[in-house]
Amino acid sequence: MATQIDALEPLPLPEGPPERRLPPRQWIRENLFGSIFDSVLTVVFGAFLAWAAYRIGKFVFVDADWEIIRRNLTTLMVGSFPRTELWRVWAALFVLAASLGFGAGAVGAQRRREVAEGRAEPAPKGVAARRLAPVVILVSVLLWFSGSLENLLLVLAIAAVGAVSNVVGRRTPRRLERYVPLLVLAGILIAFLIIVAFGGIKWNDWGGFMLTIFLAVGGILLSFPVGVLLALGRRSSLPAVRIVCTAYIELIRGVPLVALLFMGVFMLGFFLPEGVARPDTVVRVLVALVMFTSAYVAEIVRGGLQSVPAAQVEAAQALGLSPYRTTRQIVLPQALRSVIPGLVGQFISLYKDTSLVFIVGLADLLTISENITKQPDFLAQGLIVETLVFASFIYWTGSYWMSRESQRLERRLGLGER
Amino acid sequence: MRGIQGWALGVLLAVALFVGAGCSLGGDDDDNGAAATDTGEGEAGGSQEGGGSLLQEVIDRGTLRCGVNDSVPGFGFTGEAGDPEGFDIDFCRAVAAAVLGDAEAVEFTVLTAEQRFTALQAGEVDVLIRNTTWTSSRDGTEGARFLHTTFYDNQRMMVPADSGVQSLEDLDGETICVLAGTTTELNLETVFQARGIAYEPLAFEETDPLQEAFIQGRCGAWTSDASQLAGIRSNWPEGQGGPEALVILEENMSKEPLGPLVRDGDDDWADAVNWAVISTIAAEELGVNSGNVQEMLESEDPEVLRLLGQPAPAEAGGTPEPFDAGLGLPADFAVQVIEQVGNYGEIYDRHVGPDTPLELERGFNALWTDGGLQYAPPYR
Amino acid sequence: MTAAAPTTARKPPLWRNVRVLRFVLQAVFLLAVGGLLLYLVDNVVGNLERLGIPTGFGYLDQPAGFAIPDSDFSSAQSLGDALLVGVQNTLKVSLLGIVLATLLGVAIGVARLSTNWLVRRAAALYVETFRNIPVLVIILFWYLGVVLRLPPIGDAFEISGVTVISNRGLVVPWFDQVGGALLFALIALFGLGAAAAVWAWRGRRFDRTGQPHRRLLWAGGTLLVLLAIGFFATGSPWAVETPERGERSTTGGFRLSPEYAALLIGLALYTASHIAEIVRGSILAVARGQTEAANALGLSGFQRLRLVVLPQAFRISVPPIANQYLNLMKNSSLGIAISYYELTKITRVSIAQQAPAVQAILLLMAIYLLISLAIALVTNLVNRRLSLKGRR
Repeated sequence: MATQIDALEPLPLPEGPPERRLPPRQWIRENLFGSIFDSVLTVVFGAFLAWAAYRIGKFVFVDADWEIIRRNLTTLMVGSFPRTELWRVWAALFVLAASLGFGAGAVGAQRRREVAEGRAEPAPKGVAARRLAPVVILVSVLLWFSGSLENLLLVLAIAAVGAVSNVVGRRTPRRLERYVPLLVLAGILIAFLIIVAFGGIKWNDWGGFMLTIFLAVGGILLSFPVGVLLALGRRSSLPAVRIVCTAYIELIRGVPLVALLFMGVFMLGFFLPEGVARPDTVVRVLVALVMFTSAYVAEIVRGGLQSVPAAQVEAAQALGLSPYRTTRQIVLPQALRSVIPGLVGQFISLYKDTSLVFIVGLADLLTISENITKQPDFLAQGLIVETLVFASFIYWTGSYWMSRESQRLERRLGLGER
Repeated sequence: MRGIQGWALGVLLAVALFVGAGCSLGGDDDDNGAAATDTGEGEAGGSQEGGGSLLQEVIDRGTLRCGVNDSVPGFGFTGEAGDPEGFDIDFCRAVAAAVLGDAEAVEFTVLTAEQRFTALQAGEVDVLIRNTTWTSSRDGTEGARFLHTTFYDNQRMMVPADSGVQSLEDLDGETICVLAGTTTELNLETVFQARGIAYEPLAFEETDPLQEAFIQGRCGAWTSDASQLAGIRSNWPEGQGGPEALVILEENMSKEPLGPLVRDGDDDWADAVNWAVISTIAAEELGVNSGNVQEMLESEDPEVLRLLGQPAPAEAGGTPEPFDAGLGLPADFAVQVIEQVGNYGEIYDRHVGPDTPLELERGFNALWTDGGLQYAPPYR
Repeated sequence: MTAAAPTTARKPPLWRNVRVLRFVLQAVFLLAVGGLLLYLVDNVVGNLERLGIPTGFGYLDQPAGFAIPDSDFSSAQSLGDALLVGVQNTLKVSLLGIVLATLLGVAIGVARLSTNWLVRRAAALYVETFRNIPVLVIILFWYLGVVLRLPPIGDAFEISGVTVISNRGLVVPWFDQVGGALLFALIALFGLGAAAAVWAWRGRRFDRTGQPHRRLLWAGGTLLVLLAIGFFATGSPWAVETPERGERSTTGGFRLSPEYAALLIGLALYTASHIAEIVRGSILAVARGQTEAANALGLSGFQRLRLVVLPQAFRISVPPIANQYLNLMKNSSLGIAISYYELTKITRVSIAQQAPAVQAILLLMAIYLLISLAIALVTNLVNRRLSLKGRR
């Protein structure tokens, strides 16, 4: 295989000399004060970092007035969701913990089997704890702000459910492995239905962090099929299809998300004939997000399709498979496997981009962070810094955690391929 | 690979179910709204007029969709429980009480100044009650129709008390904060250009950054409707000097009659909403309020009886049947409005009156009999 | 081989003929897409007419009715002119943002591979922080939490004659035209031509003799000398204007509005973190043998970076960095949240001042598309010039 100089993943470095374990003094001397220039850098950066850490620490623990977060935590998390129906959210969280824990357990079992068969390397000790660290930190901070014992107990119960289902998941027999993804997705759907169905709260009353998650998950789920179709269309041999799909993708990618949000919020009503009921804002925003994300997903999937060697297609044709079956059974499975990291990356971007609904006034986490500073008790005290820091923290932990998982996933898939 | 097929199948299934669930449950018609229309539908017999009108659609739907503001203290803001409250909100509820018999059968949509007209034009809200000023160009080009003015307001300027500014001329060269997309922006430009006062505008989409900029001295003056300025000033925290730290200049920069809007081209709906609003003023004129409306059903005054939809004795010029003005509203709509929401005076005092933090005197908004401009056309 | 009997060319039946099928499928597809588009356009036009809203683009000629801060735009000028000012502002923040983000991003990307542990960690911390926070949050934070908290104009921080810093802007001395500049402009053009000639000459000399060309110094020097001569020869047509602090604003000099500053800083910090990752990846992608060879030749770390690694890494990194430039330009639309009058904000304001929403937003998208295509074109050119001949 020719060296792909335009590939961008860092090539795995060849085995170098074994790592030297240096005693502390020598380590400091080499890594921090290796040369005069190095020493100057260390001093300057060290001073700067110490000062920055001091200022930030002082702000977070001493100066800031976190009362506004404490009082408005529920609003920040779920917006104007009726407080009497909050049990639905908790129930959904239980279901989610169960299904995701189960899925994680099954994946762990698969991994262990691979290690036993020598196809993969065992993970170093303590990795599981490190992996969950961002989530644990986030939940702890939220619990600290909520200050309610009941919430703490609920969270512990959810964690317990997750742990138990993890154990159950590890016992999955091999032949049932293929149904695990379905079960996980079913769990997510059930959680969704708990909140929405049976006299529940429809999604245009959702708000806060819950709305952010909903928009991100809904966006990526809905844009996936559209993106795959667009990618296939862009590679089609029919010029008409190819041109239309390419035009759509390039058009959407050339335009900022804000413009699409405007289009959805301001213009969608005009596109519908007179009698049809107008969709509410959340639906419109979702449509705009799906239109936007599907173009990027299409590009990612297209990259994956291109990575499938032409020989596979030729072999399929030699075997007499129709183009449809070739695509479905030969090309797509291989292509989709390699695009999973890219898709996760796109999901992370979408998770952050949902903050843009602030501009169209939808009550997501960022909008509410700004709105609560207008409450009479908190008005004109400059608390916007506290709320923005809090919102940043939530976005950061989610995004950081997911990107770490994505890197692990990438490494795992890469290993499997060799 | 097996795993991938499972995933792909699972994702497609999830998407299908998701869309299905969303379409059937996340649409506009849902279980919640249906239950709310049971009260007061008894005398709905004479109200099914206007086949293609929004009036019929709202009645069928069972909820009123109202476009509102959520950031103006007193008029439209989010209360402690997370629900909208305010002067404009109460008029939304009054319309719902009149048309549907239930003041709580309202779906509030928060709109920014920019979105409000397009939202109304595109049919996402049935009525817009969002401290919107009635101007000719809005009537003409926005595809909207303004109804009875609920609040006569003026545009004024607010400055820090220690700035020493006493008149608009003193603001020469100043940076002035204003909310984008409002008549305020246009008026500021017109008035200052006419008087030859130089200034720099700073127009924000949202009130929050605007407020922050004003506090930090980024701009030296803030112009808006006097009612909004009063609300903001009333909430000014003690840490920043309290309300005394701000001064609202007396000069009126423009007339700002605020009222509800509906879409152009639907007279039946417009009439129904209009009279729902007017009924509150008529009630105050006749001395009917939420406390005494039940007794007033037995009143001797034929005007009161007509308003409340009660049969009046023929000798006094009344009719043996309840008066039906042909508006498409139930005969006792005014009773529902007054009982569930209140008359104009009650609504005013509840949200913006002298006893509220806004401390706004009735002024131009008093009844015509008290020297103000609120005047209800006769209900007959 | 025996002579085969002439075969009659028999075409497959229509319903199995690939050519026919292809044609039919494309026709059906185009009909479907075209039909959908026509239906949507029909709805839009119908709705607009029903509501009495104009359907053409004539609204662009109407007076704007709003003023734009930081510019000479008057409210009597047309909406079309307002949009042009918006485009100008978008480009102002995008171009400078691209420059800053690149400088910062390359520096941090290189720092992530430093031998100094502290520097490495600090750079990693920077990247991990800014990559995971939404750019809008960063911009809002800089505006509401930092820039607005600069001292108000009454207490502005001043270095007399040099700069005035307050939350109404940062002002620096700038040039003010006091005389005829046409002659100077001509001399400047001539200077550019001369510099290009010097550049080419030094390049040829290098090709011939192999001596270091230092053409940047030579060309730059030529340009500067000619500009200086031109400046004084035409009677100093530019004077330096120092900022003065007034009671409410500053006069003179060049003012960076707080909104512009916050948007610029936010965009630059965010994009720089992405560029740093790309730079790091591309440096790592340069074959290790190159580094070892450079070390074997005795090049210092700095020389190795500048002469061997970076040029190769640069070639690899151009497409992803170009993508980041596009993202920065598109993210400039977030200026609307802090009231910076770039294109999106002006479109929003014009919609509120009775411009028809449908046309305005379509125009907005078209303009962004044009700018994106322009940037993509330039970067494609650069990419093509850099790509190795014979590969790909």
